[in-house]
Amino acid sequence: MEGVWFTFSLPDFSYAFLSVLLEGIPFILLGTLVSGLVEQFLPAGAMTRYLPRNAFLGICASSALGIVFPMCECGVVPVIRRLISKGLPISSAVAYMLAAPIVNPIVAYSTFAAFRGQGALEFTILRLGLAFFVSIIVSLAVHNLSIRHVLRQQVIEDLALNSQSGAPASGSFWKRMLLAMHAGTRDLFDVGRYFIFGVAVASLFSTAVNQEMLLPLALNDWFAVASMMGLAGVLSLCSTSDAFVAATFVAFPGIAKLAFLVFGPMMDLRLLFIYAAVFRKRFVLGLAIGLFVLIGLLCMRLSVLGL
Amino acid sequence: MHAAFSSRIVTAKISQYLTAAVFLVWAITLSYFYYSGRAASYLHPFFIPNLAVAGFVLFILAAIAAFAPAPPTRQRRGGSLAGNVASCLFLTIPLLAATSISPSQFGATAVLNRGFIEDIGDLPAYSPPMDPPLPNADGTIGEGTMMNPSLYLAKNENGEIKAETVDLLYAASEEVMREDFEGQTVEVIGQFLPTRTDTSDGNRFRMVRMFVVCCAADARPVAILVEAQDVASFPEMSWVKVRGVATFPLEGDRRIPLLIATSIAPTEAPVQTFLY
Repeated sequence: MEGVWFTFSLPDFSYAFLSVLLEGIPFILLGTLVSGLVEQFLPAGAMTRYLPRNAFLGICASSALGIVFPMCECGVVPVIRRLISKGLPISSAVAYMLAAPIVNPIVAYSTFAAFRGQGALEFTILRLGLAFFVSIIVSLAVHNLSIRHVLRQQVIEDLALNSQSGAPASGSFWKRMLLAMHAGTRDLFDVGRYFIFGVAVASLFSTAVNQEMLLPLALNDWFAVASMMGLAGVLSLCSTSDAFVAATFVAFPGIAKLAFLVFGPMMDLRLLFIYAAVFRKRFVLGLAIGLFVLIGLLCMRLSVLGL
Repeated sequence: MHAAFSSRIVTAKISQYLTAAVFLVWAITLSYFYYSGRAASYLHPFFIPNLAVAGFVLFILAAIAAFAPAPPTRQRRGGSLAGNVASCLFLTIPLLAATSISPSQFGATAVLNRGFIEDIGDLPAYSPPMDPPLPNADGTIGEGTMMNPSLYLAKNENGEIKAETVDLLYAASEEVMREDFEGQTVEVIGQFLPTRTDTSDGNRFRMVRMFVVCCAADARPVAILVEAQDVASFPEMSWVKVRGVATFPLEGDRRIPLLIATSIAPTEAPVQTFLY
């Protein structure tokens, strides 16, 4: 097997596939339930009322929202879909979507724990800081795009429908809870399909591709950063635990591990498909390339820190 | 017009029950993994209770979908009956297929593709040990000072040390810990994997345990080498119990754990197949 880069095994694939599904379904479910509650109980315009009116400040605040409202990368998509329908600007929604899975206390703690003895505080600050910065830069770019270039046609139609139907349905608490469950159900169906497809692709790569083939790339900073981001994209790890995996790549420079930790929760094979439930395919592809280039360049600049 | 209206009603009714069926399948599957204990072969214990909670919530959603349909304006768009059926099949068939064909552990292909952890520094969550505190001024041993190894090393019925593969990797890199194991007879349980690029005389194999951070998808194989006079042929990744003497020779530029086996026997998988 040594030297062979791809070896498929159906039992291994099904084992990895099932383990990610079992881990991810409860989080997807949580995200869609929250999205249903947002749909029914968050008054339209509430988000715009509480966030700063200035676009830049609004994006900054949204990027930091994960500190008080943490959400994992699987569950965040249905939530931002509903927040958009409640009037949250798309740029702010993208800022929350990209930053919340990293800029939150759980990930800060796990990163600090994983890098004990390897500059834990430095790594934790750099990871959260870089994720915050990248989400702002990307969201500012999204701010200049037309809604038609960002959201799927079906989502735009849903937005139009919501704006016509106005505020959440009135009625008793239980009636609204019932409607919230139905809204969550719809999101679960939409996101679930993309999630299953993404998990299948990620499981294929994580079991069939010989990961030791990447090791020679560790010798060059550029290749190391790019290959670690590629690996993060393929492995599709959860942001709460990916630091424990990243810390083991001792052959790779610190900037490559940092790139792994920032890029992975923002974009991986599984997310590529989950994002496509809300955003246009072309936008998702552009987002993936943009994040890859931006995070790669920023991490290369950070090499001056001697990580 | 009446026929078209009736057709829409029937389509909506079928879609409603299909939705309920999908949630029911998910709820039963998640609950099955939780209550059968099979989840332990897939997930870190931290995530296992989530299955019970999610299964319960999905049962409720299935009941809501079946018996409390959404008002017409809030029903899922989309469509055609064929589209809804296809969507439901996509949401259930892969999960059910994987549940029925998935083994409870990785085979050799995935293990070899992931690469072995044969140095403790490569272990996720590894942190270098701190030096134990010095004895107190009066010579008494303070809390946290290294204890007598006999107090913390588990023993089998023959008085031999029961060790994990990861213990021997730690011992290979930590001198103080190595003294506890070196030359001692130990008993280790792991999965059998023949070496493919063996530099010895073909009398070595690897013993592997999977180290998990989150779920089986991120499992990394922690491996030690075992040397035996007669390496019997066991199926790849089958569970074996090895008794032997722990040694830590220098090979290449690093010290490796090498178990000189006195007996090798097939055994049942341990209750917890993963290391955490």
